[in-house]
Amino acid sequence: MPVKVLIVEDNPVARSFLTRVVRESFSDALVITEAGDLETARRQIGPHREGVQAADPFKLILVDLELPDGNGMELLAELGQYPATKIVTTLYSDDDHLFPALQCGADGYLLKEDRFEVLVEELQKIVRGQPPLSPAIARRLLTHFRPAPVGGAAASGPMPLASGFQSSRPVPMGRGAPLDHERLTPRESEVLTYLSKGFTIKEIASLMGIKWFTVNDHIKSIYKKLNVSSRAEAAVLASKQGLV
Amino acid sequence: MAHDGTDSVRVHGLNNTWPGRTAPNWTGLPSQSADSSLDADWNDPADRRPLIIRWTGWRLRLLVLCALLGCVATAMLVRALIAAPHIDASWRADSQGRIELAASADPALQPYVGHALLGIAGGDVSVALIDALALQRSPRWVIGDGARARQQLVRDQLTEALAAGHVKLFFADGSQVAVSTVPHGIANLPLIFWLLSAFGLALYMVAAAVLIAHPISRNVIYAVMAVCQSGNLLLIAVEAALEFGLPPHAGRLSMPVHMAFDLITAAAMVNATCLHPRRLPGSGWIAVLGWAVALGLIGSTAVGALPHVWWWTQGAVIMLGLMAIGLLSWSYHIEPHPFAILLRRFGIVTAATWGLLTAALAAADQLQGVPHNIADIGSMIWYVFLGSLLLLIPFLARSQNFMREFALLAAISTVATSLDLLFVAVFGLSQFAALTLSLFVSLGVYTGARHWVLSQTLGSSMLTTERMFEQLYRIAREVEAQPERASTLLSQLLGNLFEPLEVNVVEMRTHKTRVAGDGSSMLVPVPTLGHDTTASRAVMIRFAQRGRRLFSSEDARLTDRIVEQLRRAVHFDMAVEQGRSEERLRLAQDLHDDIGARLLTLMYKAQSPEMEDYVRHTLQDLKTLTRGLAASNHRLSHAAAEWKSDLTHRLSAAHVELKWAFAIDNDILLTVVHWSALTRILRELVSNAIAHAQAQQLEVDFRLENDRIDLTITDDGVGRNPRAWSHGLGLGGVRKRVKQLGGEVEWREVSPHGIRCRVVIRDLSKAR
Repeated sequence: MPVKVLIVEDNPVARSFLTRVVRESFSDALVITEAGDLETARRQIGPHREGVQAADPFKLILVDLELPDGNGMELLAELGQYPATKIVTTLYSDDDHLFPALQCGADGYLLKEDRFEVLVEELQKIVRGQPPLSPAIARRLLTHFRPAPVGGAAASGPMPLASGFQSSRPVPMGRGAPLDHERLTPRESEVLTYLSKGFTIKEIASLMGIKWFTVNDHIKSIYKKLNVSSRAEAAVLASKQGLV
Repeated sequence: MAHDGTDSVRVHGLNNTWPGRTAPNWTGLPSQSADSSLDADWNDPADRRPLIIRWTGWRLRLLVLCALLGCVATAMLVRALIAAPHIDASWRADSQGRIELAASADPALQPYVGHALLGIAGGDVSVALIDALALQRSPRWVIGDGARARQQLVRDQLTEALAAGHVKLFFADGSQVAVSTVPHGIANLPLIFWLLSAFGLALYMVAAAVLIAHPISRNVIYAVMAVCQSGNLLLIAVEAALEFGLPPHAGRLSMPVHMAFDLITAAAMVNATCLHPRRLPGSGWIAVLGWAVALGLIGSTAVGALPHVWWWTQGAVIMLGLMAIGLLSWSYHIEPHPFAILLRRFGIVTAATWGLLTAALAAADQLQGVPHNIADIGSMIWYVFLGSLLLLIPFLARSQNFMREFALLAAISTVATSLDLLFVAVFGLSQFAALTLSLFVSLGVYTGARHWVLSQTLGSSMLTTERMFEQLYRIAREVEAQPERASTLLSQLLGNLFEPLEVNVVEMRTHKTRVAGDGSSMLVPVPTLGHDTTASRAVMIRFAQRGRRLFSSEDARLTDRIVEQLRRAVHFDMAVEQGRSEERLRLAQDLHDDIGARLLTLMYKAQSPEMEDYVRHTLQDLKTLTRGLAASNHRLSHAAAEWKSDLTHRLSAAHVELKWAFAIDNDILLTVVHWSALTRILRELVSNAIAHAQAQQLEVDFRLENDRIDLTITDDGVGRNPRAWSHGLGLGGVRKRVKQLGGEVEWREVSPHGIRCRVVIRDLSKAR
């Protein structure tokens, strides 16, 4: 049974390039469906909600972020429970664009300007469960999972005596204590900190005295927590706004 | 209570305390009564100043009652006065010290205007008037004990004579005139009576208001002083209305009552300076000493055991006055509260005029007719002056202009009084001529000096206004860059504006600038500037102009306007900056989206790998450019992490090992120019190594030490003789960018093989 792949990309040249990358990456028999915009993509995917598994779902979905009828992130958000590896393909390598995509449930990202061989390798890695994590995104993740700072007082001005009154103040906890999925384990934070400083997985493994795969597992777990926490956040937001 | 919420934070780099004093530890310590009352003032907004208390309920009722009592007492006084028998004539002392008829509406007396009166006979009493002593307003200002007794005797007789209804007047030319006495009548009360009694009543009302508003010990003392002076003024008013003195029973009391008022006021002044502006060590004993002196003198006078009463009183008052001045100096030495300096100034002027008055009277005692002028007018002016000082004190911190004008006026009237006394005593001018002349001179001085003083103060503040604006905009820019420093910068601004001895940042929420601690301190809310949300802070400045000036409500208004201007300037700057960055962002987005997509298509369609790489580099340069446009600055360590990750990514694809070394002594913020230049230099050099050197390993060493970047990239490839390289677009670009940063670049062979490129940028921060 062939593996179904969906490529959502508006530029035909880039689409055929990505098709080549996908074909090169896997030895399985592939059925590659191409979509030029979000609407076509949605039609191809069909109804998938309410836990009903489509008979023959896509195993791999590549989504461009900039599409003529919207942003690829919308599709990613809709496909929250869809059992496919979802990958963002984009020209934007900065965290401002990539971080929201990861929050929407992307399993990794590919930079479209990379060489063919690099793209093939990266794609294989993501499918194997070795998603990339750039220093900028690692930094964003660290601030995302860090508990909110205590007011603004800690950061403002030189204050040698500050500790005296800060301790007397209650820490503002808007949402109560963070849940498990909103917290990183110490190891995960450590990995993230190293990543944010530009260390490679190999270097981190040797620095922390753990196996390469363990570091990679931490990264995967961070990805998952990011997606779960943002989904939980969205649910909280939605219930607050009376949408649910 | 007060100190839980007011942890003060000393601002670094500011003059938090006054120079030359080693123990600034009283700040914020609850043991200091002055401080805790200050803080209590702030914590309870309903309780700030005695005179802006809500006048409702029992306070209002009590105040109205006090006002009614005062008015009824005055009305009864007037009623008693208008019933007193009176000869329809006015008298004055002539140059030989005799009583002279000045004017009269009685036709029988009119021919005798200008004649000296020698005696009065009425009923079975006849009084010989050998000098003008009987005419002198108050026995309080008769120096000798004997003269005072004689005056009293003459007045007793005169009262008896006038009571008979018909009197005979004997003039110096031998003629006799018989006239009938008439009741005084309300129309005949002199203007000075009404003025003085109105002033006395006002003083009494202020005393009552202060006491009712805030019944604490120092206000009680103030009220005692004010009521005593009010009594003095009323007594003077009555004495001025009755030409030949008070009726015997009241006349005998006049001297002791006046004296008691004076001494009590002086002792209360000593007591007040012990407590305000700060409680002095041993204040209780000093106050007791003051009161003992005053009460001892009053008591011994009352039983008649004291000879030379006048000298004792004058001496005791001046001694207590000097004591109060000394206490104020001491208080200022302990804590430089501007109130102490102000009160000391008032004290010096008051004591000096008192001394002058005493000296003038003593000197003129021998001259005929003169003492009575000095005693009447000089003492009256002195009491009015003291009364107005007392009237002013509760309002001191309210209005700077008002105070300045008053200070000028007070100084000028003192000059006028002194001149008047001088003219009369030394040049022997008549009372009227001396008064007119001195008034003219002093009015002239007042007009001139007022203009000069005002232009002086305005001129200096214009200068500071210019400087202040400059500073305001500088601070606005700084605040915009670092919103968290808003309170520090505001403290600096206020520090330059008011030159306070203390500037503290306190955790306190306040909406408007407030003057507290009797004008010693001002609390300025730190506005919410930028995105900083800590609105609950305030800057507390204390002791303006190095402790020489009080804060007034004008200062508070000025500060509010300055803070508002600062807020606007910051918002304006932020809006401009936001507009700029939005524009840049839009530009970057357009570039990225349009050109980027085209370059990508071009890259996919490239005919050769070289062309593809070329387009890829162009695309990457475009991305660096657009990112530089979008972001304003990058932290060096963050940028380095991205460089490393990017290089690792590319080198591992080319199967080249990366050795990365990064050492910095300061994690600076790179500007866009620096960031994009360094990014492209690094990328170009690495691309070069990948493309041409066929290296196995690439060593990157990045150092920042003392503002100097030292970047070395060493490969172990096949490159040779770098001097012979043709510098194409790539290396030419590197040279150009290094030069742009003011640095140097060189390529050198390394053994056994490979090329080392070294980039050195000195004085990095200067190149910005």
